[in-house]
Amino acid sequence: MSTSDSRPDAAVALNEVRKRYGTVQALDGVSLTVERGEFFGILGPNGAGKTTLVEIVEGLRTPDSGTVSVLGESPWPRNTPLLRRLGIQTQSSAFFTRLTAREHLETVAALYRLERPAATRALDLVDLGEQAGQRVDQLSGGQRQRLALATALIHDPELIFLDEPTAALDPAARRSLWEVLRTLKGDGRTIVYTTHHLDEAEALCDRVAIVARGTVLAVDSPRHLIKSLAAPTRLRVPAYRLGVEDVRGLPGVESAAVEGGELVISTHTANQVLLALGELVDLEEITTRTATLEDAYLELTATERRS
Amino acid sequence: MNAYTAVTRASYLAYLRDRTSVIFTFAFPLVFLIVFGMLFQGQSVDGGLSYINYIAPGVLSWGIGNAALFGVAFTLMHWRRDDLLRLIWRTPTPLPTVLGARYLVALGTGLVQAVLFTAVALGAFGLHLSGSWPLALPVLVFGITAFAALGLVVGTLANTPEAVAAIANCVMVPMAFLSGAFYPIDLMPGWLQGLSRALPLRYFDEGVTDAVGGRGGVALPFLDCAALTGFTLLFALIATRTFRWSNRN
Repeated sequence: MSTSDSRPDAAVALNEVRKRYGTVQALDGVSLTVERGEFFGILGPNGAGKTTLVEIVEGLRTPDSGTVSVLGESPWPRNTPLLRRLGIQTQSSAFFTRLTAREHLETVAALYRLERPAATRALDLVDLGEQAGQRVDQLSGGQRQRLALATALIHDPELIFLDEPTAALDPAARRSLWEVLRTLKGDGRTIVYTTHHLDEAEALCDRVAIVARGTVLAVDSPRHLIKSLAAPTRLRVPAYRLGVEDVRGLPGVESAAVEGGELVISTHTANQVLLALGELVDLEEITTRTATLEDAYLELTATERRS
Repeated sequence: MNAYTAVTRASYLAYLRDRTSVIFTFAFPLVFLIVFGMLFQGQSVDGGLSYINYIAPGVLSWGIGNAALFGVAFTLMHWRRDDLLRLIWRTPTPLPTVLGARYLVALGTGLVQAVLFTAVALGAFGLHLSGSWPLALPVLVFGITAFAALGLVVGTLANTPEAVAAIANCVMVPMAFLSGAFYPIDLMPGWLQGLSRALPLRYFDEGVTDAVGGRGGVALPFLDCAALTGFTLLFALIATRTFRWSNRN
């Protein structure tokens, strides 16, 4: 393989990256650029190739073809000075068995040749100071996720990869982790992360890439992505007020169906439909939901799910 | 704290906090000693050794080898399964440093096992220590090293705790009998006596037996150490060739 240094200023630059395992084409010509200081989301169904992508970027695997540049360097073969600048949190929480949170972090700090205060800093960064003396196996799901994040951040990396950092968190824990992530971005770090929570990607990411079957379907800011896909607006009316037959013929209505006690109408011309509906029901009974990143995501990955 | 000290500390803490495992690591060879000691009290084996002077070094070397193999194999399997190996891979610390730290734990455990075991054998079963017993110390170190290296091979092969136990038992239980540790070599058919030469426990057991019994002079335990070094190199080579950072692909 050759390595690109065409964009040394970018945090990550992938060009036409392909990787095959036996008969499975994990990555099929992926091209992506993540700018420095960017909060970049990678969204995609399970098996889309997200994990392989991260493994290639950190230099654990080499692509079959294509070029990879990370912070202006080639990650392959194992590039220790480069790895020192990357913080990587994988889905499996890698903790030293039967140690306390602090002991675990002190061990990781020593592996990075850092002094003990690095462990305290990392604990404070993720707000885990109170659990410092607790054994890793006794931490709650949210606390483990924070400890995993602290592990990835202990050496003060410039470029951070997080693989579903908020999976298995309750809503409150999720929100407080968002704050940690926003602080990291505020410090000028680059964050690349994968998630299944599309509301989260919409709230946090500067740009997102939607990946399926080893290819990038779209890369853009969440707002542009939603707009460019022209996903329909959904209007909801209580089903006892109106039936599918009542609205099907109205101008601007693209589809209508009853879901969970509500009539859901899809349209690209919400104003026109609202006017027409106003003739039939009280406008206060209608709720409007504009398109979200989730709609964009579902639309883009529709073929993937059908097959 | 440098990486070597830190991982050694982490490994010791992980080991000591698993109380059940600690207790049984030390109790296991003692149970065998007590059972064999009671079964064959007062008898002697070919070559004029009292039975206790034959069986105690055998059970000791087997028990210590067993603990070293299991400990290292479990640790390596867990580190790979929990992605700790990948974490280590990302740091500037070389893998041999990390494995070396775990080896120190195996060494410490083995030496404590030996002291405890010898105390019981001396006190309760009348083990006789010859003046050359300190020669057993280098044999212990080389024996633990060889079995720790074998543990690396098993820990590389196995992806689950069940697999570690299955493979390690399959290696260690037959070896206990075939190497002469539990059953006198002199009573075996000739071809089996030859086969025992291909087993590391044969040299571990022989070295400890000769040092404790004062047989064969100073040179003999060192020949056993040399043989154990050969096994260590062989196992380390296999482990290096088959080593995997991750269970995936």
